[in-house]
Amino acid sequence: MQNEKEVVISLKNVSKSFQGKKIINNVSFDILRGETFVIMGCSGSGKSTLLRLMNGAIKPDEGSIFIKGKDITQISSEGLDEVKISFGMLFQYSALLDSLSVEENVALPLREHTKLAEDIIGIIIKMKLSLVGLRGFEKHYPAQISGGMRKRVGLARAIALDPDIVFYDEPTSGLDPVVGGVIDKLIKDLSSKLLITSVVVTHDMQSVFNIADKVAMVHKGELVEVDTPERIKASPNPYIQQFIHGSPVGPIDFFKEDIGIIEALGL
Amino acid sequence: MIWRLGKLVIDTVKGIVGVFGLFFNILYWIFIGPFKGKFSRRQSIFHQMVFVGLSSMLIVFFVSIFTGVVLAMQSAYQLEKMGAVLYVASLVAISLCRELSPVLTALVVAGRVGSAFAAELGTMKVSEQIEALDTMAINPVRFLAVPRFLALFFMLPCLTALADLSGILGGYLVGTNSLEINPDLYMQTTFKYLELKDINTGLLKAFVFAIIIALIGCYEGLNTKGGAEGVGKATTKSVVTSFILIILADCVLTAIFYFSKV
Repeated sequence: MQNEKEVVISLKNVSKSFQGKKIINNVSFDILRGETFVIMGCSGSGKSTLLRLMNGAIKPDEGSIFIKGKDITQISSEGLDEVKISFGMLFQYSALLDSLSVEENVALPLREHTKLAEDIIGIIIKMKLSLVGLRGFEKHYPAQISGGMRKRVGLARAIALDPDIVFYDEPTSGLDPVVGGVIDKLIKDLSSKLLITSVVVTHDMQSVFNIADKVAMVHKGELVEVDTPERIKASPNPYIQQFIHGSPVGPIDFFKEDIGIIEALGL
Repeated sequence: MIWRLGKLVIDTVKGIVGVFGLFFNILYWIFIGPFKGKFSRRQSIFHQMVFVGLSSMLIVFFVSIFTGVVLAMQSAYQLEKMGAVLYVASLVAISLCRELSPVLTALVVAGRVGSAFAAELGTMKVSEQIEALDTMAINPVRFLAVPRFLALFFMLPCLTALADLSGILGGYLVGTNSLEINPDLYMQTTFKYLELKDINTGLLKAFVFAIIIALIGCYEGLNTKGGAEGVGKATTKSVVTSFILIILADCVLTAIFYFSKV
């Protein structure tokens, strides 16, 4: 139990601006080992930026980000590479390399970061592709398979090196509900069976309550609330209620309250 | 107006700094990376060599043979007046090896290969593939730019040598058929005046042009912004910039060879 409570990712007073505009404002939270931590929020709320800060793609202007006890904002590029090898990432549009086949894509991290023999790599590829239900598609190219399959190949690639943290950027967006459900189940299985810590960025509410152990709501770069899905559902916070129910009226000002859609369009 | 001029200067300086940065980065991964256990994959270098070299052979052959034919006819037109048609052979060979083969081959390859580098890497950039490599702790310069750089660096001089030969063949066809020069005499005259340094300076130019094409193609690709439009712009910019820099470098190198009597 002690091990399960260990903090693996910790953000402390993190802020980030782009071109003078503050995208992330003083955000702090902890993610525990084995937890599925979902970050939800509207488009442009800064949730993807949070993910890119955590995976080391960008550096914060202020604050610290600890991954397994190492502050990745203060680390050398070699040190950051070591941290990067210990986690996997599933991209919104899969980001598979077009010029490589499915098996070459999954093999890429293994070939680059391990000295495993090719036949061992072949076995690992088969195992990972079985895990995402894609045996038999080894020789296909990303352009020859569907969006949902690409996502699953992306997931197989993300877990190729047996990482203990996996980041998911909108894992179910653009997928039909069934494939979305399959992806959700995969995320859940990875967390429960392999004790992988999952950090998921999404605005798919069904997915949020299917998979989350903890939910963080982000709005305009600030953390609104972090809690269990049940408590989030019952939260009296108007931002959260508006977001969960997808209501056009509320404090999240897509349209200014005193101007209706018709007026805003100038009709 | 001044503001736009200032922006142009800043962008140009940024571009020059960026290209040199990429060059040093590539050299780091070629010479120092292997000592840290980080190699570029041989398979992808060979794959690029086939794309750069083998697949460009036919177009380089045709461009050069016709250049040789044209050069022979144009010089014959002048030399006939002095009764020195025989010297068409050496004129064709020397002007091809010293100047036309390296430049024309570089221009063809910049249009065919440099633009493909920019388009491919640009598409990878806008579809998050480069970011994905970075997240997997795979350096995009080592993984993508180094194989392309090495392939071009070794294949462009080979293509230039092919251009030299096919250009001379073009001249030979005109010389021995239309100008009725004895075939043996044509070849003798060709090699009598053609020196090794003529070929070497041409090949040296090819190495420099290869560096220019690879750097510009990869730099524009890796720095693509926006979607499909950005890829289009990067591709066009890579070809235009490479063309200008190839001609500029040719001018500088020719001046160096001329004044140092090489």
